[in-house]
Amino acid sequence: MLHLFKYRFIQVTRDYANIFWTLLFPIILGTLFYFSFGSSGLAGSGETPWDMVRVAVIEEDGTSVQAQAFRTFLNEMDGDAIEITDITSEGKALRALKEEQILGIYYVKDTPSLTVSKNGIQETILTSLLETYLQNASIIEKIAINHPENLEAALSSMEDYQEMTQDTSLGGKTLDPNVHYFFALIAYACLSGAFLGLQSSNDSQANLSPLGARRSVTPTNKLVLILIDFITLFIVHLICILILNLYIAKVLGISLGDRPGVLLLVNLMGCMIGVSLGIVLGCIARFSINIKTGFVVALTLFPSFLAGLMFGNMKHIIELYCPVINRINPAAVLSDAFYCISVYNDSQLLIRSLLTLAAMSLLFIIAAFYRIRRERYDSI
Amino acid sequence: MIHIENLVKRYGDLVALDHLNLDIKEGEIFGLLGPNGSGKTTAINCLLALLKYDKGTVTIFGRPMTPDSYDLKKDIGIVMQNVAVFDQMSVMENIDYFCGLYVKDKEKRRLVEEAITFAGLENYKKMRPKKLSGGLLRRLNIACGIVHKPRLIILDEPTVAVDPQSRNKILSGIMELNRQGSTIIYTSHYMEEVEQICSRIAIIDHGQVLATGTTEELKKMIKTGETITIEAISLAEPELAALREFPHVFDLSYQEQVLTLRLSSAKHNLVRILNFLQEKNISFGQVFSALPTLNDVFLEITGKELRD
Repeated sequence: MLHLFKYRFIQVTRDYANIFWTLLFPIILGTLFYFSFGSSGLAGSGETPWDMVRVAVIEEDGTSVQAQAFRTFLNEMDGDAIEITDITSEGKALRALKEEQILGIYYVKDTPSLTVSKNGIQETILTSLLETYLQNASIIEKIAINHPENLEAALSSMEDYQEMTQDTSLGGKTLDPNVHYFFALIAYACLSGAFLGLQSSNDSQANLSPLGARRSVTPTNKLVLILIDFITLFIVHLICILILNLYIAKVLGISLGDRPGVLLLVNLMGCMIGVSLGIVLGCIARFSINIKTGFVVALTLFPSFLAGLMFGNMKHIIELYCPVINRINPAAVLSDAFYCISVYNDSQLLIRSLLTLAAMSLLFIIAAFYRIRRERYDSI
Repeated sequence: MIHIENLVKRYGDLVALDHLNLDIKEGEIFGLLGPNGSGKTTAINCLLALLKYDKGTVTIFGRPMTPDSYDLKKDIGIVMQNVAVFDQMSVMENIDYFCGLYVKDKEKRRLVEEAITFAGLENYKKMRPKKLSGGLLRRLNIACGIVHKPRLIILDEPTVAVDPQSRNKILSGIMELNRQGSTIIYTSHYMEEVEQICSRIAIIDHGQVLATGTTEELKKMIKTGETITIEAISLAEPELAALREFPHVFDLSYQEQVLTLRLSSAKHNLVRILNFLQEKNISFGQVFSALPTLNDVFLEITGKELRD
């Protein structure tokens, strides 16, 4: 078994064309991004200052305890992630929003709400702030009802959380609008594992290549061969992606967050989806390897384009008009996951992204295994 | 050892194998001779359970061959028509890899060295396949297929696009493998090769076995006993007519002053022809007399030349 791993590893790592597409090309692209956007705006270990998001706060009912708590929360954020303007009337606020003098209006009432006029990173931050507050408020309320004895401890931990949120996510780190290009780039690099998967698929099927035929008549179980291929490709691809991560973080100085464990998990899922996409594309139809390579180029670049690799606002435009695409586009889902780690702490979105990637990978792998394990062909 | 009975394989309306029957005995070098597209490779792929077939049975070593017959597969070596090696790995690594798919124990190293020596690749161990000549590449392809010393070796046109030196090495190697105890199935459309190494031959065309036997047995099946060729000869129609009526002559062609006569087997055919030419005072150049070849066999059985 080790013997088969060893030689598959040698074979994959010496396939320079594939290594170029999965490692060198993203590194070159990342370097070009870095110089195109201007190194001053991106470098510096992610400590780049961020323009605070201007908002208006409208008090609809400032008397209740809940409203007062929300106002306090916003005041704490003022001057840090957001800048509260002195607009107090709703009409003026809506006008200012329309003229883009402000990007959102918070309504202070029993159940606080937010109005924004468009989608974007800054608007997402405002939403995230509100959601964070509402989640915390809901938890506190439940604790107050069910376990009033723990209320003090809960409030104390909440303060810690807010502090953490201010310092790392909302406090101005990694919020350069161009950073999403790098997230889309890593997502693209993950998907480019499809090139490796495609080659493996081609080498496993007797109707696609002489190598596939030769390997199909050996006494080694075909599923074992496929599994060894998959694991080897996955490891090689993960190494490539980690090198890319290191290059982006350490050489280009783009912060990818400070949660290496979660980052590794996202990369793992990214590699899984990339390799399994290639394997499934390799076995769904009997086209030549060149035609299938064309498919893979299209099916890695196009989703990456939709995730904002070439045009930064594309993902937000899609979110506005057809959000379902962003839910099923693996590049967009990966990009979301990177946002969750590096820009805003949204564990729900992170979990949703990881689950989506896992489900898609599983679907691809099952489909590919089902197809590849077919061992007698109609024609060769 | 191998029994194929009533094998039928269709590709849509095209019948690739038409009730093909074959019996191959242990220890043979069995030749499958037929032109391109005759069904040789399709028969091999059905035999190896790579292709689905519409009808028929295939047994190897007395057992049915299926995709899951891993115990049978370990005793089979296959050398594909197209070279099947990894371009990214060296000669040695390729042979070692394929050996590892069959052999798990420490024997592997010895087997790999033996295969390298057998294929004459000692000086190319560290070279990548793309750096090898066509002949060396074919030898590597063979080494990868036979490295585990299988009981049954299937070679599908292993000498296509190979230089004469490599071809001779490959053919002598195949005979050596047979001497060492392997049964060989050898497909080719080169009749000289088949005639040279095969102990028994099946002539196949349009997916059917047209004749089976040793070279001598096949030659005896046909009318041609001798082919006489006379060069630089000038003949008029009366002499040609007389030659056509000669005893045992059943086919005559005369083109560009070259006379070719095909005669059934009989004594003194050549002497009688030469006496006739002397009597008529007809001068001529070189004279050749050839015994029938497999091409003659193929020509007579199928009505067409074996070569494309």
